[in-house]
Amino acid sequence: MANERVDVTRIRSGRSAWSPANGWPGVVLLAATYVYFLIFAQFGFLKRLGELGLEDAQLKPVMGAMAVGGILMSLGAPRARFWTCPKCRVQTGLLGCAVMAAMTLLTLTPMLAMAVAAGIGLSLGLLTVTLVANLPHWIGTRRPLMKIALGTGLGYAACNVPWLFDAGARGIAWVALGVCLLATAVANRAPMLPVEDAALETGTVPFGLGLGWFTALVWLDSAAFFIIQNSPELKAGTWQGDMHLWRTGALHLVGTLTAGLLLARGRVRTCLGLAFGFLAGSCWLLGTPGGIAGAALLYPVGVSLYSVALVACPAYLIMSRGWDERGRRAGLLYAVAGWTGSALGIGMGQNLHAVPMAFVAAAAVLFVVPWVWRLSPGGRRQAIAVALVCAVAWGLQRQLPQAAPASAETTVEAGRRVYIAEGCIHCHSQYVRPGTRDVAMWGPVRPLAEVKAEEPPLIGNRRQGPDLSQVGSRRSVLWLRLHTMDPRAVSARSIMPGYGYLWARGDGRGEELVAYLASLTSAEAGEHYAAVTAAWKPSDEDFDVTRRDEDGERLFTEHCGTCHLAGGQARGMGRSMAGGGFKRMPPNLFGDAWFRIAPGLTESQERVAVGRVVKYGLPGTDMPGLEYLPDGEVEAIADWVTRKRSETLAGRAAASR
Amino acid sequence: MGWEALLPVPDRGVLRAAALHGLAWLLVANLIGDWLAVLLLFPKAGEWLGPLSYGRWMPVHMNLQLYGWTALPLVAWLLKLYRADESWTAEWGRAALWLWSLALGLGGVSWLAGGASGKLFLDWTGYPRVLFPAAIVFLWCVVALAYLRGWWSERPDAGLVKAAKAVGLLLLLPVPVLLYLAPDTHIYPAVNPSTGGPTGASQLESSLIVVVMLLVLPYGLVKAKACKNIWAWVCWGTVAAEGLLCASLGRGDASHHEPAQWMALATMVVWVVLIPQYWRGFEWPAYAWPWLKASVAWWALLVVLGSWLFLPGVLDRLKFTDGLVSHSLLAMAGFATSLLLLVLVVLLEEDGERLDSAWSFWLWNGAALAYILLFLAAGWIEGGNPAFTMTPGPLRNAFYWIRLAQGLAMTAASGNWLVRLARVPKRAPVEIAEMEDVAEGSLA
Repeated sequence: MANERVDVTRIRSGRSAWSPANGWPGVVLLAATYVYFLIFAQFGFLKRLGELGLEDAQLKPVMGAMAVGGILMSLGAPRARFWTCPKCRVQTGLLGCAVMAAMTLLTLTPMLAMAVAAGIGLSLGLLTVTLVANLPHWIGTRRPLMKIALGTGLGYAACNVPWLFDAGARGIAWVALGVCLLATAVANRAPMLPVEDAALETGTVPFGLGLGWFTALVWLDSAAFFIIQNSPELKAGTWQGDMHLWRTGALHLVGTLTAGLLLARGRVRTCLGLAFGFLAGSCWLLGTPGGIAGAALLYPVGVSLYSVALVACPAYLIMSRGWDERGRRAGLLYAVAGWTGSALGIGMGQNLHAVPMAFVAAAAVLFVVPWVWRLSPGGRRQAIAVALVCAVAWGLQRQLPQAAPASAETTVEAGRRVYIAEGCIHCHSQYVRPGTRDVAMWGPVRPLAEVKAEEPPLIGNRRQGPDLSQVGSRRSVLWLRLHTMDPRAVSARSIMPGYGYLWARGDGRGEELVAYLASLTSAEAGEHYAAVTAAWKPSDEDFDVTRRDEDGERLFTEHCGTCHLAGGQARGMGRSMAGGGFKRMPPNLFGDAWFRIAPGLTESQERVAVGRVVKYGLPGTDMPGLEYLPDGEVEAIADWVTRKRSETLAGRAAASR
Repeated sequence: MGWEALLPVPDRGVLRAAALHGLAWLLVANLIGDWLAVLLLFPKAGEWLGPLSYGRWMPVHMNLQLYGWTALPLVAWLLKLYRADESWTAEWGRAALWLWSLALGLGGVSWLAGGASGKLFLDWTGYPRVLFPAAIVFLWCVVALAYLRGWWSERPDAGLVKAAKAVGLLLLLPVPVLLYLAPDTHIYPAVNPSTGGPTGASQLESSLIVVVMLLVLPYGLVKAKACKNIWAWVCWGTVAAEGLLCASLGRGDASHHEPAQWMALATMVVWVVLIPQYWRGFEWPAYAWPWLKASVAWWALLVVLGSWLFLPGVLDRLKFTDGLVSHSLLAMAGFATSLLLLVLVVLLEEDGERLDSAWSFWLWNGAALAYILLFLAAGWIEGGNPAFTMTPGPLRNAFYWIRLAQGLAMTAASGNWLVRLARVPKRAPVEIAEMEDVAEGSLA
């Protein structure tokens, strides 16, 4: 039992929002412990060791010392019969953590680093086991599981705040130090709530089973974490960049609160089963090309689900007889599942660089077998039948002929695969309908036999964007690159999603996609566009002369402003692009000689000529057309550009006179 | 244990499970649809989910609607028709439902991971491409076993019914194989060279399959009225005539500009009259009337609008636009959903009354109708000016905001159906049988 008792009536009578009886000290202590463990012990300390120049070979004994310290204290503290006051132990653990964080601000030799690591392990071991085994004294018995979820969620979310996550090793150490001191003050001030043993007899999870489940979960978590952390591509897709971090923090909060709700409804098995499903799914996706996006969503939720349970189970839910056994079991759980599971997971990541699916399947047995065992005899038979069908389907799928290996593909074929995988057909057609305005905008028409010869034809169904069957004739490679990376950089009002992730370092899919799009052309395309361009004439009916200034400037800024400044100069975009910038630097629209528009035209002839460039672009350059714009809008742009150029040239001539 | 234990006992739980699975997939698909509507208004919001972009969510949305929501109430109907909802096959039917949902869930994960085939509604690739047909085979086995059990049952079917059911089983047998083969990239159906879409012949063919389903559907649900229904003969005769017409059109790549193509599809309009007349020959329970009327109304609108959309000049303007999105929504959210809710309401009997929430009924149907009309108008504008969609302005955005609100309304309605049905307490099969005995006794 708790060594310290307080006056219950004093606590109850003073039950305001900030009364300790509401359990907020427990929430703060939990959040602080998680912040210290996640951002400092797992992250900042390693960063600091990196700064100090410790090699991989030196890191292993350092981290080993931390694990040994953690295991020893987790097992030893609950058994020690001296100095048993939980409050004192928690404060000692927190102060130990703070001292170790401060120590990392010094220049550490490998031996000193090992000692500090062991100190972190010992302090954390003492803190976590004592806090969890006695948590009811700080968190109370009123909705304790939701409060655990809140503390855990706040801890995870805080660690994902970009300025903290991206802080330097010393900054993190200072934050860890501050958090520990704050938590020490809270532990010192907050009275321990009186909790009867009877109030805790709600345990439903057999200890052995819980130990197995948590070991598997921590193992998977640590392996996935190590793999992501040590792969620049995976890291870039998960927790690099402010947006990723805010999203991850939000997912952690959602995951922890969901866990709280499930646990409060007695759904421990569902909570841990879901955690396993999410973590197993993320491990699978980490080994799948392009799967990092899914893994980045599943991983934080899975981790959050089990992290709440990892506190709630030893504190409230695992079967135990009295406080002593609760403490011993918490210690064993953290020593085996926490420290050892974590070490094994990191070892797996270091040596195999992946989580073998056979291991995931073996871990799944731990979750599935007890679930099947609890079913009725009929349900058990059916579950086995379903599993058998899944297994047979798996075997059958491996026997069936597979698609050609990716290595045998050309870049264009690989790009076509990317086009299909990214679901481009849901917004883009590849079919120019004969006899319709499609021909002028997206033509020429391709013979149906040619379309049907593709495997499969990518005709599409709905156009949220242009038809792409001849896009290689209408857009340059530079434009396609920029547009796939950041559509609104070249088309201000584009509704296309950005595909920047296809261009991540080490990911060739962006170039493959562009190679495929550039290949979408035909021998007749050049002739077709020359004819269509020559035939284009604006219709004066569409052009509102009364709004020519207003419309012209607005439309120019909107559609042309991504490459041309209001003064007519070309923007510098594309110069620093891999593969080169503009094929030919665009002239100043209002001052320089134009490409392909002969001088000496009348104003109306010039307007038509400019209109043709606006509408269909300039083949052989990076200048795209705005084929889809109504003629009136094209003419408004052409009119404004022509008049602005005349004014500029006239002004220049007057100045020179 | 007495011999009575061997008698088949109806287990409405399996039908309820099928309804819950279907409604759960409807809710998930609708939530994804809402997210897609958000992305069309705020494309940058998609960056929050990184590679899980619009194109990855679209197949999940579409396939969950088709293989989850549309299919599972019909699975419930099939279980009832073949009396697989009785005794031990009911338990195995429940296992088949879980297997179906598992395969569909894995399919969803694979589509999000980029596992698409490039063929709409046929995105099955990798493991789910084998597992989903395997789930259908499992279901077929359950249904076939229930059929075989019926031969020795205390209440055997009449000879004609037995034969019809055997034909049905044989027709269903190739479905998993076809579903496995259909995503193959070497196979592609006939193409309308004027639009790149399906021909009039293939539209008539698929429409006739729907008509046949509408003619067969009441048999698993309700009793035919005692009096002779002349409309049954008229309907089956018309199906035969239209079948011949369909065969005569051939399966080649034909344009909708050919009069034979659009005129053949226009013959579907007769079904606006025939289906309600045919359904009058059955004893529909009073509580099913709202969904029955809604189904008939949506059917009429679908057939008339579908025939109009295929006309030369109209299809040329609306192809690839929101106009055809509107038609798809009419088919799925309007007609199919009303029909499926009719099926569920009748199958689940007193539990099905939970699906008769008035506000959900009007919210769903009102939002669907408004969506259809709005997007028909949007498609018409877009057909004349493609920039309407490609460079969105205030009018297009207003349309899309309204669409988002309509999507949310439909999601709320589907969520309400799911929650209401999930709250029905489970009953043991025997208890249900007892209740039915009591009901029969009181009627007597």
